[in-house]
Amino acid sequence: MSIVDSATLQPNRLLNFALRARRANMALVLVLALLVGMLVGGVLIIVTSPAILTSWSSFFSHPGATIALSGNTVWFAYEQIFEGSLINFHSLRMLFDQPGKATVAASLAPLSATLAYATPLIVAGLGLAVGFRSSLFDIGGQGQVIAGGILAGYVGFTVNLSPVLQVALEMLAAIAAGALLAAFAGALKAYTGAHEVIVTMMSNYIMGLVLSYLLIQSFFARPGTHNGISKEVGANGRLPAFFSHLDTSLLVNFGFLFALLAVVGVQWFFTRSKTGFELLMVGQNPEAARTAGINSKRTTIITMALAGGLLGLAGMINLTGGDHLLTNNFGGSYGFDAITVALLGRNKPWGVFFGALFFGAMYVGGCAMQNYTPTNIQFSLAQVIQAVVVFCVATPALIIEIFRLKDNGQFGAATKSGGWAK
Amino acid sequence: MKLELRHVTKSFGSLCANRDVSLVVESGQIHCLLGENGAGKSTLMNVIYGMITPDSGEILINDVTVQIHDPKDAVAQGIGMVHQHFMLIPVFSVTENVILGSEPLKPWPLIDYRGAVAHILQLSSEYGFDVDPDTTIENLPIGAQQRVEIMKALSHDAEILILDEPTAVLTPQETDALIVVMRSLKDRGKSIIFITHKLKEVLAIADVITVMRAGEVVGTTTPQESSEEALATMMVGRDVNLTVAKATGEPGEVVFRVTDLVVEDDRGLTAVKGVNFEVRAGEILAFAGVQGNGQTELVEALTGLRSVVSGSINLSGAELSTLSVREILEAGIGHVPEDRQRHGLILQMSIADNLILDQLNSSEFTGRWGRKLKAIAANGARRMSAFDVRAQHEGVPVATLSGGNQQKVVVARELSRELKVLICAQPTRGLDVGSIEYMHRQIVANRDAGVAVIIVSSELDEVVALGDRIAVLYDGEIQAIVPPTTSREELGLLMAGARSSSFEGAPA
Repeated sequence: MSIVDSATLQPNRLLNFALRARRANMALVLVLALLVGMLVGGVLIIVTSPAILTSWSSFFSHPGATIALSGNTVWFAYEQIFEGSLINFHSLRMLFDQPGKATVAASLAPLSATLAYATPLIVAGLGLAVGFRSSLFDIGGQGQVIAGGILAGYVGFTVNLSPVLQVALEMLAAIAAGALLAAFAGALKAYTGAHEVIVTMMSNYIMGLVLSYLLIQSFFARPGTHNGISKEVGANGRLPAFFSHLDTSLLVNFGFLFALLAVVGVQWFFTRSKTGFELLMVGQNPEAARTAGINSKRTTIITMALAGGLLGLAGMINLTGGDHLLTNNFGGSYGFDAITVALLGRNKPWGVFFGALFFGAMYVGGCAMQNYTPTNIQFSLAQVIQAVVVFCVATPALIIEIFRLKDNGQFGAATKSGGWAK
Repeated sequence: MKLELRHVTKSFGSLCANRDVSLVVESGQIHCLLGENGAGKSTLMNVIYGMITPDSGEILINDVTVQIHDPKDAVAQGIGMVHQHFMLIPVFSVTENVILGSEPLKPWPLIDYRGAVAHILQLSSEYGFDVDPDTTIENLPIGAQQRVEIMKALSHDAEILILDEPTAVLTPQETDALIVVMRSLKDRGKSIIFITHKLKEVLAIADVITVMRAGEVVGTTTPQESSEEALATMMVGRDVNLTVAKATGEPGEVVFRVTDLVVEDDRGLTAVKGVNFEVRAGEILAFAGVQGNGQTELVEALTGLRSVVSGSINLSGAELSTLSVREILEAGIGHVPEDRQRHGLILQMSIADNLILDQLNSSEFTGRWGRKLKAIAANGARRMSAFDVRAQHEGVPVATLSGGNQQKVVVARELSRELKVLICAQPTRGLDVGSIEYMHRQIVANRDAGVAVIIVSSELDEVVALGDRIAVLYDGEIQAIVPPTTSREELGLLMAGARSSSFEGAPA
């Protein structure tokens, strides 16, 4: 436990230092948001555990035992989340004692799982951030993820090429599918004024039903089944895992590399590219953009296509880096989680990256916490912490108020009234 | 009611917005607060209205020190404020807006709407507001909306009214109507703090004038003891040239010709009804007219922002009326839009970025590997010093600049392209004396460099000072094109729609 102690002490000291400065900045807000999330989570653990509640009834006779039980339960819960999603100190020690394939794999496992879960979310979050930066609210992430998955899947199980070509073709197909679907909503907005929120939201249902339909068609469904499972993507069309030679359970795959490339690409797009700049112009002041000669119809369609393309890519990564087949549950809730991730990352590419990693860690860590038999805390608790953190990040004004920070104008006005996509 | 400020000081970081400001407003007095943008007038008013807490100093009402922590306290003390941007709900009626927040509940919980209407009618007749209580706000002209704001303050029993640049948004006629209202308020013992930087109005209506500069009171005077020149000098801190120094132009050949132009407004009504004019190189054609007579639509049509119903816009032989905004800009038209914050700038973006908004296609700023950030920053720094934009550096958001500096950014951008025609709509609206002087010099310099210049302004002074020829717009038509030597009475008549035969046939 000594390693953990010094590791948690360090941020504490940093926190004190930062709090003394009392100057609000995003990093501090994030740390404090996490702290608030963990506090709320801790209280929930205590009030929802029957064992702890029983011990509280004898609080006055054995106060020490009650507090120790409460504290330990909370501590173990968070330890499980941390060790289950990032570094397991137990396996790390094993690695030093007896280095070998098995121990290396075991110590990489938590991080690998987190990255694997986060990978599609990074790409999907980027897609939505692109739209949000241009004041376009693409709520159709789910539909675009599914569209990308369907087309990538179809290519994956009908074509048989060399691995690189096959993956490239699937990727193109997925990007095209997502881009077309979203660009259609963009075109409707540009030429008829149809609101993109409604159109994209409805497209979620449409794509979900299209998928259900395809799953009972003979050219798409697995032969001989009627329970909504598609064919499988061929071996050449799968994204190879980085560490499959160590252990097949290490899921993190080449999709993560694509996600990193996408982050860098979107970063470049906004800071350097002409189209990206035009998109920001339209997003921040459409009338001034028009006066400066920007064709806002064109920009709207391009933006939606870009956003949809990234979401389609997320669908492809989810398919070919995961189960390699589609079911009615394909995509999970990636399309919706991505909205929250974009919000958590404040629509900045690297912000989205770390926001998705946080989501991945809370998912994987939450599962680990639930599976830890001595305490057996529900997975939903991890989601509560996640929700509180998102809530605090979405309203930095709240954190600034709670901790009485000095707002240098970076947050207050913008988040109190300006809307969250800015 | 007497209001007194003693030694009010307020700093924002290193910037001292108000330094040791003392001010006395007597009962029944119209007290003008004059100063350039950023002189600290608004900060001072926000102190009085409780929106800003001063670092030191005190506020006295009828010689008693009072604490004003928020606008509610201010209202309770009998202070009312009419903001430059109205705080009205457009879809509510006049009555609903006036009673909003202090609804007469009689019998509780029902709103005594009839009583409220009666109260408004009584206020209306007492002060000459002339507003129908049942009209929806969005259907009222700006001047009437402003009167509703004043009524709102009066219905809270305000004894002191703060009017923050009330005339900036008004037409000359509406300004006259406001002055009548202000006089009748004064006659009934109300005090008024009137903020403006229009010197003529100050001299016309003020009892006492307090001039502020850089956060300090630089002097207090009365209209009788002062003159426009003296006030301008006090405001700016140096001698200001109020008339535009302008040599007789040397017009070249016609570069811009508009024939039978017809344009519709947003509601589909014809706003520009068959307008004909020409502009020569090295000539300024100034459009005068009361706002809402087709100026906005005309400028939007000329710059491609609004589609043309019929007619032709011709630049040195090339037809512009069917081109896109981008193509028109690239053909050599410069456009300084009427509303710089809405149409001219992207406030969250940096000065440097705003300086290239319409020049993204230029190889100077966009290369094979994307936007050339260094070139853009260098251009920003260069333009900032060339156009005297006062800001820390080219990377700060335009939103943090004063109105004058924002306008300089727009002008700096437009003038950095190779222009054949420069179209400026309301080039000096809301600017202080120093910035107006600067803007006029730039416009004349461009004329002298051979650019054909079109000015649209609702300030008659500006039109007369700048124009080589003056076109008067009324109800979407050009009444006449007259020389700048035309008397103001004649211009006024033309603006009001009179079409005397002596003006006919003036177009060259």
